[in-house]
Amino acid sequence: MIKTEKIFHLKSSRGWKVRVVREHYLREHVPCHSSLCQAGCDNDGKLLSEDVTHYVFPDVGVVVDYQEVLEFRELRGVVFTQTACHAVQHSKGRRQYNRLRALLKDPRHDCVLFANEFQKNAYCSRQKGESQDIWHSRCVHSAAVWYHDHLAGVKPVVMITEDASAVAQYSSLHSGIYIVSMQEYLQNFWPELKAAQDLYCSVSQALQVKESEGTEREYTEHLPSEVLEAGVKSGRYIQGTLNVNKHRAQNEAFVRLEGSSNKNTDLNSDVLVSGGKSRNRAVHGDMVVVELLPRSEWRGRVTALSEGQGEDKLPESTQSQPMPTGRVVGILQRNWRDYVVTFPPKEETQSRNSRRILATPWDQRIPKIRISTQQADALQDHRVVVRIDSWESTSLYPNGHSVRVLGRAGELETEVQTILIENCVHVLPFSEAQLREMPANSPEKPWQADTAGRRDLRESHLVFSIDPRGCEDVDDTLSVRSLPGGERLELGVHIADVTHFVREGSLTDLEARSRATTYYLADRRYDMLPAVLSADLCSLLGGVDRYAMSVLWELDARTLAVHKVWYGRTLIRSSYQLHYELAQALLNGEPAQVPELMQLDPDQRDAKLAQLTEALEMLTHVARHLRAQRDRGGALELEGVEVRAQLDEDKNITALVPRQPLEVHETVAECMIHANHWVARKIQESFPQQSLLRHHPPPRQEFFCELVDCAKARGFTINTRSNKDLAESLDQAVDPKDPLVNRLLRVMATQAMSNALYFSTGSIPQDQYYHYGLALDRYTHFTSPIRRYADVVVHRLLTAAISLDQGSDPSKTLASNKELEVMAKHINKKNQAAQRTQKLSTELFQCLYFKDKDPLTDPCCVADAVVYSIRTNGFLVFIPQYGLKGAVYVKNREGQVVSARPGGACEWQSGSVHRYPDRISTVCSAGTITFSLFQHITVRISVQPSRCHSDSLHLEVLSNTPHHSPEPTDLPGPQPQGRTHLVQEVVRLAEEASQQAQEKAAQGNRLSREERAFRQTKGPNLYSLLEEVRELALMDPQACGDGGGGSGLSGEAGCISSA
Amino acid sequence: MAGLELLSDQGYRLDGRKATELRKVQARMGVFAQADGSAYIEQGNTKALAVVYGPHEMRGSRSRTLHDRAVINCQYSMATFSTAERKRRPHGDRKSTEMSLHLKQTFEAAVMTQLYPRSQIDIYVKVLQADGGNYSVCVNAATLAVIDAGIPMRDYVCACTVGFVDETPLADLCFAEESGGGSSLALALLPRGGQIALLQMDARLHQDHLEALMEAAMTACKGVSKVLDEVVRQHLQEVSVLTGE
Repeated sequence: MIKTEKIFHLKSSRGWKVRVVREHYLREHVPCHSSLCQAGCDNDGKLLSEDVTHYVFPDVGVVVDYQEVLEFRELRGVVFTQTACHAVQHSKGRRQYNRLRALLKDPRHDCVLFANEFQKNAYCSRQKGESQDIWHSRCVHSAAVWYHDHLAGVKPVVMITEDASAVAQYSSLHSGIYIVSMQEYLQNFWPELKAAQDLYCSVSQALQVKESEGTEREYTEHLPSEVLEAGVKSGRYIQGTLNVNKHRAQNEAFVRLEGSSNKNTDLNSDVLVSGGKSRNRAVHGDMVVVELLPRSEWRGRVTALSEGQGEDKLPESTQSQPMPTGRVVGILQRNWRDYVVTFPPKEETQSRNSRRILATPWDQRIPKIRISTQQADALQDHRVVVRIDSWESTSLYPNGHSVRVLGRAGELETEVQTILIENCVHVLPFSEAQLREMPANSPEKPWQADTAGRRDLRESHLVFSIDPRGCEDVDDTLSVRSLPGGERLELGVHIADVTHFVREGSLTDLEARSRATTYYLADRRYDMLPAVLSADLCSLLGGVDRYAMSVLWELDARTLAVHKVWYGRTLIRSSYQLHYELAQALLNGEPAQVPELMQLDPDQRDAKLAQLTEALEMLTHVARHLRAQRDRGGALELEGVEVRAQLDEDKNITALVPRQPLEVHETVAECMIHANHWVARKIQESFPQQSLLRHHPPPRQEFFCELVDCAKARGFTINTRSNKDLAESLDQAVDPKDPLVNRLLRVMATQAMSNALYFSTGSIPQDQYYHYGLALDRYTHFTSPIRRYADVVVHRLLTAAISLDQGSDPSKTLASNKELEVMAKHINKKNQAAQRTQKLSTELFQCLYFKDKDPLTDPCCVADAVVYSIRTNGFLVFIPQYGLKGAVYVKNREGQVVSARPGGACEWQSGSVHRYPDRISTVCSAGTITFSLFQHITVRISVQPSRCHSDSLHLEVLSNTPHHSPEPTDLPGPQPQGRTHLVQEVVRLAEEASQQAQEKAAQGNRLSREERAFRQTKGPNLYSLLEEVRELALMDPQACGDGGGGSGLSGEAGCISSA
Repeated sequence: MAGLELLSDQGYRLDGRKATELRKVQARMGVFAQADGSAYIEQGNTKALAVVYGPHEMRGSRSRTLHDRAVINCQYSMATFSTAERKRRPHGDRKSTEMSLHLKQTFEAAVMTQLYPRSQIDIYVKVLQADGGNYSVCVNAATLAVIDAGIPMRDYVCACTVGFVDETPLADLCFAEESGGGSSLALALLPRGGQIALLQMDARLHQDHLEALMEAAMTACKGVSKVLDEVVRQHLQEVSVLTGE
């Protein structure tokens, strides 16, 4: 037992003054967590490094107010005292405190917690009449003194405080301890860290402003949290997440209810929060508590397409049925993140003397943020990252401070960074410490494979990979052979053994976990793993020895039934690194050049070629069988169509292949699905409570209404009862004259579905494991560990399962169900962010492409479009040529409607609009013009520039007849111009522009260096698109839909907008 | 403000103890001369006084007499000044009655009642200051008092409460930890044989964790028994010095 001592605290709790007495035990040995410790402290976990010049003790006030500044990774050797941590917990709430905890746990930050209040000598009790601030400073100081003495004075200790009196009082007390203010500290010790100083200035300014707040009340106060909790429990209030309607951010928001906690059975939809007053300072994404208004005040949502911003007053007739309406009474959890804002130009800044500026966020759903800064002039028209600090009830807008400047609005680099930040994607270059963990593989010091503990397949198996041309990171290879006796076949899938190189808990692993996936943008890529792994050691290249994780099935040669499955670590050498087109050519019996066989003499070459072709044929045979098996179960073919379209475009642009998708794509995909399925079975059986699987919940039937109605307009019936019925009826809904109809129907079906998600098996019942899209009872991701973290986790689980089979306990304890569930949520979130960034960056490039073109003269800006959805004042179209979707209005802001002129051309005239289920028509003096579903029309594309937000494309009807290209001879050429083409074009233009700018400004090669730093591979990411076809379970409905809300029942069901 | 963090990432509890550490225990036996046995115990800030009368012949209704063993009569009460807000009713309320019953069951299991047929043993316990673990402190106090009274017992009865926070069992909860939510378990143990005299838990707990919790409780009880044993030996030494041996 440890010697203890008792000390009393005085505390007064709410209401009466209550005397609370608490014990407080002090001890001699409190770990100091420094690697310099001589006293033999019981240090485990993170240690402060010894190569810093000093250790820093931030005072309580500094930690509470300037935690963000301390979060800079460059600041090293930071010791947080327990006193400071408690102060953060008490004064800043759970969110901030959790951030501090995460900071302390993160091995990438060189900071530790010192439990000074439990150390016998470092602790000082509060004296009578001593104010809390003074006491806190005294505690931190005495902790600093103890720490300095404990390390025998080896390291100087710096205490930073914002309290001037503390500086005066303590600075002369102790020789090894320097007391400075935050500003001095940053200036003297980190003069090169400009970003931290800027951040410090902006935070301190925001703090000063806060003190001088007005008193006029703009909003009602929020209720205290106990009242909210009790209200939610009793059913008086409703709890949910606030979703702001992107197109009517001023006054329409919805609260999505939380799970099944809601006992009100008549409330099965979202709750509308209408207007800024009733939203009461809640920001998009916050967890709020709402009170329902009486039924008489319920309102409907607006269904018309809204054109332009700020058009708030809409006639009652455009509103749909009244829906539950409420007002926000309190906020349970703020979900503020970093926002990108644009500073207004000078003339708009209202008063010169006020240093407070209203900046407009890039995200339309976020209200304007008031920033106090002295750099307003310098920052005009720049995009800046800001954080919201507070939103008092006396203020119309939230207060924030700027964090860092991204660059001038409209520049390519700025816009791409904006997209990343808006989606919370943080990708810094890999740090030196991370790269140091990597095994070396250089010509002087080649990496050596080791066969220990692995099955050697180098001689026995013919292993080959089929990937897109030019692919660098090959993470899957295949093998197939007939076993001796001829009764059995052996199919093998060999996946790169990433977990061999990335140890659990290593810095690389942590970085990969926080990235969760490789991010593919239109013009660049951010890898999950360092290049030495992703492009070299883990990549299963041809002709070299590589570690792999293999699944081998023994199949019956005739029935193809699975007899035996073997999982394990292997050593392979891929014989052929094929690409899709080559593989298909071999299958078709066309003459093809296999680069690996070029050096051989003709006889040998023919023999080898025959062997390879036979293997490919066998593989195709097996894959067909597997596909048929899944089709019987009801597998859907949805996403294939959607993405394949992009693919076609891709291929045409790079002029590699014919437009038709190749069977070999499907063959490879099928083998991967098969491997994923069997691995899912294995890990789920071994660890029923804690394995990571992927499921795709069946969609809600009501979401299919639009699809069914649309199909009816064309005379097709869609049966949505089960996935099998849906697949069959979609297959039948083909219009021989117009292949686009089927494609659009499939896209709509995809939109109706929810996302496939990762989950931990312990957290949901087994009947929900089902994968609706693939029609498999268990599924996971196993085949791409180089670019998905989920696969890395699955690899570890599989390794553990194998060692469990061999009788040994898994070497380490596995992640528990709880941890795994947290990880699954994290990966899901990051995947969504990755998809969104990809979509946004594509849109960005589309806009840049059209920006330089004059919409009135350039033939590129006129295109054929198909109507696929009808709204009250317009319709939605799909433009196959560019793969674009957008809204077209038939009624403009002046109330004029589109009318027909002879010859099919359209112009604006006054008239009226009539909407029917399957068509919309306008009536005016010139006659009637009708647009019906699936009709082909001609539209003009132009760019609608926006200063604060991203630019958007604007579509305008030119005529209601199909568009004919002016040069029909060129049809195969320009027709399939697609996204990637745009990207290339824009990249080229941007590069030219930057080169010109370079020459003019003679600034050296700064720009290109930046480009080199950010762009990890050049050229379009053909690979990502192909990969998506192969394994993406389903497209994100949000990526297809135009609204931010996702599900059909929520906010954006009936409205689209060009705003 | 967020709820209290009962166990920090560094493994410290609110008052600076580690998960398995007990509070400081101080005890004294023979505090009153008039009673047959008495003891005073402080376990952290929880302080209790126990008094034992008997064995003596049955008082009150004779119908409760047992012809083969002694009847144990327990009364638990809390001083009006024992809590942060003044208590209205020192004993006889629902909670006290329940506690009395638990004490009775505990000591029927520990005292060798068959040695005193047709007689009665009274144990009165008063909590002077409550700071968590009231039941266990009372059991510990009563044990000392019974020993002071010279009534033979099978073994010391030692009790301890254990809580469960963040998948970790916490030994000897203080008031803040007890009221912070989470499940707690009270265990009275005869440490030498490892027999359980009483086990009580009101909150829900996953069955998988019960084993770990019991294990922690037993270890804690054994720790308490060591302290009590020392107190008894110390007391005997003092008494023998006084009687001039």
